[in-house]
Amino acid sequence: MTGKYADRVAIIGVGQTPYEKRSQKTVHRVLWEALDAALRSAGLPMRRVDGLAVTAFVLPPDNVTTVAEHFGLEPRWLFQGLYGGASGIISMLHAARAIQAGDADVVACLTADVFDVASHMDLMDRFNAPVRDYLGPYGFGGPNGIFALHTRLYMERHGARREDFGKLVIAQRANALLNPNALFKVPLSMNDYLNARLIAEPLRLYDCVLPCTGGDCVILARPDLAPRGGPQVRLLAGGEMHNFPVEDVFALRGGWERFRDRMWAHAGYGPTEMDFVQLYDDYPVMEFVQLEGLGYAPFGGAVELIRKRDTTVRGDLPINTGGGQLSAGQAGASGGMIGVVEAVQQLRGEAGARQLPARRGLVAGYGMVAYGRGLSCSAAVLGLED
Amino acid sequence: MEKPSARLTSTNRPFFEGCNEGELRLQRCLSPSCGQYVYYPRVCCPHCGGGELGWEPASGRGVVVSYSRVHRPQHDSFLPEAPYYFIAVRLHEGPLLFSRLQAEGPVQEAGLIGRQVRAVFVPHNPGQRLAFFTLV
Repeated sequence: MTGKYADRVAIIGVGQTPYEKRSQKTVHRVLWEALDAALRSAGLPMRRVDGLAVTAFVLPPDNVTTVAEHFGLEPRWLFQGLYGGASGIISMLHAARAIQAGDADVVACLTADVFDVASHMDLMDRFNAPVRDYLGPYGFGGPNGIFALHTRLYMERHGARREDFGKLVIAQRANALLNPNALFKVPLSMNDYLNARLIAEPLRLYDCVLPCTGGDCVILARPDLAPRGGPQVRLLAGGEMHNFPVEDVFALRGGWERFRDRMWAHAGYGPTEMDFVQLYDDYPVMEFVQLEGLGYAPFGGAVELIRKRDTTVRGDLPINTGGGQLSAGQAGASGGMIGVVEAVQQLRGEAGARQLPARRGLVAGYGMVAYGRGLSCSAAVLGLED
Repeated sequence: MEKPSARLTSTNRPFFEGCNEGELRLQRCLSPSCGQYVYYPRVCCPHCGGGELGWEPASGRGVVVSYSRVHRPQHDSFLPEAPYYFIAVRLHEGPLLFSRLQAEGPVQEAGLIGRQVRAVFVPHNPGQRLAFFTLV
């Protein structure tokens, strides 16, 4: 079968900085701290890194190339994520191809950002030309306003109630209480969720992420470079898709359905064989859309799925076992790597109080909000070496 | 407080000039085998890939696709107007356009999706009006 990752590319290190609500750090410092943490977990010095992938929304006017200069690296392969929250996973997929081809041996896939609520909203007002010119002037409310439109449509078309979104959000919060790096530390009740401050109806406060500062990193390499005797985490399969479906912004479908069959075939496993699912949770409605697109439910069927299943870490369908962005915080571009870090920590047995008996799992990414929706989708299946 | 503005270019200027003149204008693909309308303003037709687009007066009519009553604007300049309705409109000619609902008094949300609307032109920043939509 062509296209699968030959010999299953290894993830040999993982790192995450503490997430902070306010920070004086520069994004370069946060990137470095995440990289340093991941290299320590891989047992490798910085000079072994010969490929670098960076995604950070506040990085311009700098870029991955100048970051390589700042860090004193001499990479033969570079990547910069331009796919919003889909970038973390896409950077891993592209890095895997480079490693497969021998174009790089040790690739650091890095995401980080420095944000608070005000600076994040300011960036989102001019994130790209369609947003700046055809949404911003109308007071669209940022991504909250855009995904309020999608949430309204999902409720009207598929019969979802706010309690359905609330159940998922509340379960993620319960998972977050077991994650020392999550910014939210108190349980969430359905009453709290339903009556929280109005943002853009039907979205209220707990439907929206808290922008913060943080960084996340995984180190990819050939399997023979993994520390001997350590956990053998593999990238099994993955995919990306953009601007799908081209003809309908409000299809309530994303690109996952375009590549998921190929991804599952390459992985050699199916959705029900995953021990956890790390979804991109910028908004609860997008988690429902991902579950459908990735094969967990038919179109519109995520409502029934979430009503029936327990998505806490001890439940029958663990989703966002570290709390996800909605309970841990969204550190900008790191929103696209937080699920990967959680997945790798679970597979390495480093998930502490939220540890699952995990052998394989799914991670998904989404982002690059433009004219009324996120343009980019990604996903990957990770697992322990069989 | 000045509101966020579009950056005017040779591609989109006719749209914003139309708003100032009280007319909704849309690009239309000049390829004989396409002829579809285009919004937001582009350098090529996203339907067929053709590079020749012309500007035409549009009906200003459409239907509401979705809506949200926004309480937290993304820019402080909108605070005096909040809460307000941010809407997506399927224009009669085909394209999707994002705007605001211009309403006198409370809006009946039940059945709002699918309601017919028409463009009205409202002041935005000095020297620039925008197209908002009102229920027909």
